[in-house]
Amino acid sequence: MELELKQLRDRCLADLNAVEELKTLDNVRIKYLGKKGELTIALKGMGKLSNEERPIIGKLANEIREEIENNISAQKHALEQKEIEAQIKEESIDVSLPGKKHQAGNLHPLTTTVNELKEIFLGMGFSIAEGPEIEWAKYNFDYLNVPQDHSARDLQDTFYYEDDIVLRTQTSPVQVRVMQEQKPPLRIISPGRVYRCDEIDATHSPVFHQMEGLVIDKGITMSDLKGTLDLFAKKLFGEQTKTKFRPHQFYFTEPSAEMDVTCFKCGGVGCKVCSNTGWIEILGCGMVHPNVLRFCGIDPDEYSGFAFGMGLDRITMIKYGINDLRLLFENDLRFLAQFK
Amino acid sequence: MLVSLNWLKEFVDIKMSPYDFGEALTMSGTKVETLTVVSENVANILTGKITKIEPHPNADKLTVCTVDMGADERVIVTAAKNVFEGAIVSVAVDGAVLANGTKIGTNDFRGLLSHGMFCSIEELGMNTDLFSKEIMEGILILPENTPLGMDARELLWLNDVIIDVELTANRSDCQSIIGIAREASATLDLPMAGVTTYDTVESTNQIADYLSVRIEDPACPRYVAKMLKVKKIEASPLWMQIKLQNSGVRPINNIVDVTNYVMLELGQPLHAFDYDSLQSQEIVVKTTTNKKIVTLDDKERDIDETMLMITNGKVPVAIAGVMGGENSEITEKTSLIVLESANFNKGSVRLTAKKLGLRTEASSRFEKGVDPELAGMAALRATQLLLEIGACEVIEGLIDVYPSVASLKKVNLDINWFNTFVGISLTIDEIAKMLTRLFFNVEKSSDYVLEVEVPSYRLDIDLKEDLAEEVVRIFGYDMIPGTIMGGETMVGGKTPVQKFEDALKNILVGQGYYETLTSSFTSEKRLHGLNSQLDENLVPLINPLGEENSIMRHTLIGHQLEVISLNYNRKNPFGRFFELSNTYRKNTKSGELPIEEQKLAISSYGGEDYFELKGVVELLLEQSGIKYPDFIAGGSDFLHPGRKAEIFVDGIILGEIGEIHPVVVKNYELPKRCYICQLSFKALFDCSSLDNKFTDLPKFPASNRDLAILLKADIPAAAVETIIRKNSGDILESIDLFDVYTGAQIPDGYKSLAYALNFRHHGRTLNDNDINPVIEQILGELKRSFDAQLRE
Repeated sequence: MELELKQLRDRCLADLNAVEELKTLDNVRIKYLGKKGELTIALKGMGKLSNEERPIIGKLANEIREEIENNISAQKHALEQKEIEAQIKEESIDVSLPGKKHQAGNLHPLTTTVNELKEIFLGMGFSIAEGPEIEWAKYNFDYLNVPQDHSARDLQDTFYYEDDIVLRTQTSPVQVRVMQEQKPPLRIISPGRVYRCDEIDATHSPVFHQMEGLVIDKGITMSDLKGTLDLFAKKLFGEQTKTKFRPHQFYFTEPSAEMDVTCFKCGGVGCKVCSNTGWIEILGCGMVHPNVLRFCGIDPDEYSGFAFGMGLDRITMIKYGINDLRLLFENDLRFLAQFK
Repeated sequence: MLVSLNWLKEFVDIKMSPYDFGEALTMSGTKVETLTVVSENVANILTGKITKIEPHPNADKLTVCTVDMGADERVIVTAAKNVFEGAIVSVAVDGAVLANGTKIGTNDFRGLLSHGMFCSIEELGMNTDLFSKEIMEGILILPENTPLGMDARELLWLNDVIIDVELTANRSDCQSIIGIAREASATLDLPMAGVTTYDTVESTNQIADYLSVRIEDPACPRYVAKMLKVKKIEASPLWMQIKLQNSGVRPINNIVDVTNYVMLELGQPLHAFDYDSLQSQEIVVKTTTNKKIVTLDDKERDIDETMLMITNGKVPVAIAGVMGGENSEITEKTSLIVLESANFNKGSVRLTAKKLGLRTEASSRFEKGVDPELAGMAALRATQLLLEIGACEVIEGLIDVYPSVASLKKVNLDINWFNTFVGISLTIDEIAKMLTRLFFNVEKSSDYVLEVEVPSYRLDIDLKEDLAEEVVRIFGYDMIPGTIMGGETMVGGKTPVQKFEDALKNILVGQGYYETLTSSFTSEKRLHGLNSQLDENLVPLINPLGEENSIMRHTLIGHQLEVISLNYNRKNPFGRFFELSNTYRKNTKSGELPIEEQKLAISSYGGEDYFELKGVVELLLEQSGIKYPDFIAGGSDFLHPGRKAEIFVDGIILGEIGEIHPVVVKNYELPKRCYICQLSFKALFDCSSLDNKFTDLPKFPASNRDLAILLKADIPAAAVETIIRKNSGDILESIDLFDVYTGAQIPDGYKSLAYALNFRHHGRTLNDNDINPVIEQILGELKRSFDAQLRE
């Protein structure tokens, strides 16, 4: 019996060693340890043994079972290892091959610029105001203190739909509407589309875009105007940007100014972008004219404020180095796709 | 406006470099665009007198000139034809440099040495546009009394710096040398010289024997006339010609040059009439019913009864403030002149010049506004100059019709208000000093209030805010500190609609679409390409830039197709575009603005099909919180009749989607297949529900059933889905059409739709008893409605 068991063990271990695939490993287990397995059957014959032999053989049988089980488990582990290795080997790929294409589009560069400007002013507590593009002449001119006989009102300069309805030539009528409809304090920006009778060329378009801003409150000063717009310029063009305010004239502000910023390209040394001046003209601004406040029902003795306006197409062109305004409106994919 | 720095220096002693001066002027409000030296290069060109001209022994076309240079004498060989003995010319001597940089030395001309050369105006670097062809092509002959050996740079102001200034519309008073000189004086805090005017005390009023003036129209606030006897009409002196040239004005003759000179110097346009040609003893300023006038430039102009004319009482002799008439032009025969120094209303001149399409130096000055006070002074200044250069003798007396003399404006400036408004703190004396520098008369009316008298020419100053700007620009805008606004805290931020706009754009960008930017204009012609009837509520413009841009667009479709066409024709193989933009429609209510509606257009071509675009639209709707949109066959005529759908949500139409109609493909030169969708942004926003609320994760398992349904091919899948939903109640969690099949085993004209249905109850596990009846009901209704069967 003892010999029989040892032979059985040797046979089993030999069978186990011969197993090469995980799925046949279980066959070996069943052959020896299953309900009808060789070891199980052998142990069933133990009853015939003498009382002296039984514990000895019993112990040996258990040792053999344990040894077989350990061997099965070891072999299983080894085979699994082998299988994973084989899989890995088989599945290895050329990781340098190109990835599968996913197409993302992008916003128009003008929108990206506008978004950037909006974020800056939203961060300063401004809201975004909107108004009609086809506007009453009185909102576009009269309430903005534009003289009755000013040439801006001519058919050569402004598109008319009816005698008293124009395509707005600036986004300022939005300011008028906001002032008339809301009470100070006000902090708004109004980006939008505007129109003037200019034939399209590299720097002009009958359809273009502006963003204006308006602040009205008690005690708003000209130094607030400077501080706010200087901060804006630094946020848009970088911390090192300097600003220069030059006196200018607009009908809806007094005093008025134009703001230049140090050229972001050359830092103020002078280059092609800034026509060697070191400065780039960026916006017009000023303290809201008392007549405008009065037209809009705000008492200029109680409130003051400032307004500013800038050409978005121009800023977009400057920002991206675009040399022809027409490209913005042409929508050639080879242009559009450059602004990811 | 061009300003000669040398001329300016006759009024203000500007010592700083032209660049620094330009910067200073710009920072005080007179923007300097460019600074240009008349002739940067020219050196060593001196004046000399030709004393003898002899033929060249070896060349027919050359002559040999002996030239007196003052200090020495030299021989110059020249091919020029306009030189003569006694002529004073400019001579480039050895070592000289011409305007174009050429260096001049001693040269051998056929065996004779020439010690330099004579110069033309081009070689001197002067503005060739302002000279006649004869003068331009020959050697410049200088006036007889020119000193010899003098440097041409000094004599001809070749060293002058021409300043191009951009004037703002309100500063009509700066349209002159003295205007800019006043600014320079104030900016640099330097004294300013005055001008010399004719101030002889006259004992008679001789002029009355010749002329009277009557104003019959308020558009002429003042008319000053002075008469002079002409001694000789000839070229004006060199110094005057140079100043005109450096201001961009062509010299003509002594009389005309003086009128132009005074206009440039003082800003008052003047006109000189030939008295005899007036054929009348009166000048009447009025509108007329005459239809034509021939102007000084020999052009016949159509005039009408709205235009102010200078007449001899019967016919127009000049268009007021714009241009004189040929019928009263100064000629060589003129013996008596009437010098007009008048003021005309800016609106009147502007409209007249506009109607005539004729803008002159005079009209552009009047259009901006000229101080009526200037007319008298300008007449006397011109008289002074005409006498000084020996062109005329005076006829005593002055006509000055000036019905209502305006008094000087007074504006109070409260310095406390000023300091608060600007955000600085200046003393009353500092402010008074700055205003005085700007020629305001200032008086303290209290410790903190200045009473400021405004000079007549400052038409732009009415309010304390105007004075504030005056003080601040002299103080320096750059001296104002920058502060952060105080006052109430403002939250600001975007509205839900503005956020929704951003979200839509971001989804589309993420799906590979490019945002476009197109113009708002379209035209009937462009709209015809869309194979549709013209909308009756279009918004046409009164004054469009051509037919192509004559209407405000009511749809984005045309522009999207134009974008596709452009890209396709430029060989871009595929394209996906979108634009969220306004469209415009007539308002049927009178007295209201047209209606502006934002629309979202999405389009594609190249390798896509209807369902790709539809998938993107479905994604947009899903992301907007819209659950069950209906795509119902139908839509506009620009779409393919078999491939178009209108999109509804709860009965509200959002827009339409489809393939472009083959006819439209042809009209727009499009690729064969392109797809487009246009949605109303407002409808989309109104239907959206962007409130995200958490629901518990399901605790009970789902049951899946697959149904393959056989039915007629023309029944829309959406109708089947509607029936499935309707009969499933709230246990239907999801529905997925995973196969649409026609072919083997399916009869002709039929299709099989295979759906995976997912049922789930939130309170318990569903069993067959729950689901089977639902399936029965679904199949029952499908059978009844469409004769559809379950495919085994």
